[in-house]
Amino acid sequence: MSMDLSGLTVTRELDVRGLKCPMPLVKARQEIVQMAVGDVLKVISTDRGSVKDFQGWAKAANNVELIGQSESTADGKTLYIHFVRRIR
Amino acid sequence: MSPIASPAMTSVAPNLTKATEIDTETLYNLLQQPNDFLLLDVRNEDEFQLWRIEGPHTPATLHIPYFFFLEDEAEAVARVAAQAPAGRPVVVVCAKGGASDYVAERLREHGIPAANLMGGMVEWGDFYAVRPAVERPAYQVYQVDRVARGCVSWVFISRGEAAIVDPLRYGRRYLDFLADRQAQLKLILDTHAHADHISTGAELAQATGAPYYLHPYDAIHPFDMVPAQMAYHMLADGQRFTLGELTIEVIHTPGHTLGQVNFLVTAPDGEAFCCTGDNLFIESFGRPDLGGQGERWAPIVYDTIFGIMKTRVPQHAWILPGHYASPAEANAAGLYMKRLRDLWRENRGLHFTDKQSFVDYVLSHLPYMPPQYVEIKRVNIGLSHPDVDTADELELGKNICALEA
Repeated sequence: MSMDLSGLTVTRELDVRGLKCPMPLVKARQEIVQMAVGDVLKVISTDRGSVKDFQGWAKAANNVELIGQSESTADGKTLYIHFVRRIR
Repeated sequence: MSPIASPAMTSVAPNLTKATEIDTETLYNLLQQPNDFLLLDVRNEDEFQLWRIEGPHTPATLHIPYFFFLEDEAEAVARVAAQAPAGRPVVVVCAKGGASDYVAERLREHGIPAANLMGGMVEWGDFYAVRPAVERPAYQVYQVDRVARGCVSWVFISRGEAAIVDPLRYGRRYLDFLADRQAQLKLILDTHAHADHISTGAELAQATGAPYYLHPYDAIHPFDMVPAQMAYHMLADGQRFTLGELTIEVIHTPGHTLGQVNFLVTAPDGEAFCCTGDNLFIESFGRPDLGGQGERWAPIVYDTIFGIMKTRVPQHAWILPGHYASPAEANAAGLYMKRLRDLWRENRGLHFTDKQSFVDYVLSHLPYMPPQYVEIKRVNIGLSHPDVDTADELELGKNICALEA
């Protein structure tokens, strides 16, 4: 997804680096249900599979929207970053 | 890589109801006989569509991505329960074994016997089944089958000397297998530069000192038009090797690739075996378009099959292919081999008498070409060196080397 995410207000950040499937999604879900409708959660993962998983999850769940995804590099590792908004 | 000597396995269903996890060999054995378990695949939709677990007895399969179990556990479990009444055991599979472990645990909490496939589809993709094709005092032939991908390689042993044809990834497993049989690797042969899977020919040569052979036409990347960067010996039509009491003749059989060859192995008892790679399969034959030149190469496939295979390969020879599209192509012993004289009749792709109708058929039955096939060919001639994760991703899914059924 190529979207300009620079103007986005992130409410909470969740660091799940090093965690493998299904934990990035399990933790993200635990987090977002505690947030208010409209809030945005930023999830930082090192699990490549999380990219497709977050896409599938956003389609399956009725209370979240995947606003965007991006990749960056830190300490020689690729980071997979997901921005999810609670919509309900 | 332990040889699976007998396809007849004891019933494992009773164990399955108690197991919380199973390995790929157990799953393989379950698929060899009628079974009543339910396979629950919890991967994403596109991964599930790309490839899934199959066998001679593919179980009933249910697809529910794992995040449905996170979102509405009761509803997802109820969907499984509807398919698994009366304690029917469930095997749960995902990409790497993590999400399926999570789901299997949820199912067991709800009283459904569920076992996780350890390592998931990655491990399943790496499972090799070895079966003896022929075991005589003077020589032995083994089929090494990478079941999830439909890739087959062949090992010949005679008087302590061994040859591997089309070695698949994880070359170490072949060396362990040969060590168990006290055979020394003498020849590493590739029928062609593969596009669908990573060959370990050059790697095995480096590790053992045995020579690695490839036809020089296939040592040029068909898209990049640059030569191989690896050590290899050039095969030539008519070349002969001796392996113990076996002789191996090289027959140039272009079409699938320009450098595709067959290895005709002749035994002292009069038997003959022809490793066809991606030339002839048990069902269908190798597609001509993976080098980007389908229209030009399809007529060459015709000349190879109806010219060279009719005249230079003895009709009693066993055809040993490099792939299959379905486990139904195996014989009762789980072997992908058939005598050439029977193949003409039973392979529905060979019922042609003129070149034009053959070419028309081929060009109208070309399946999708996975884009990673271009990169895999780079890897196989030493132009690219992926790490393990990238190599796993390149090899994901079943081979698509034959024509569409």
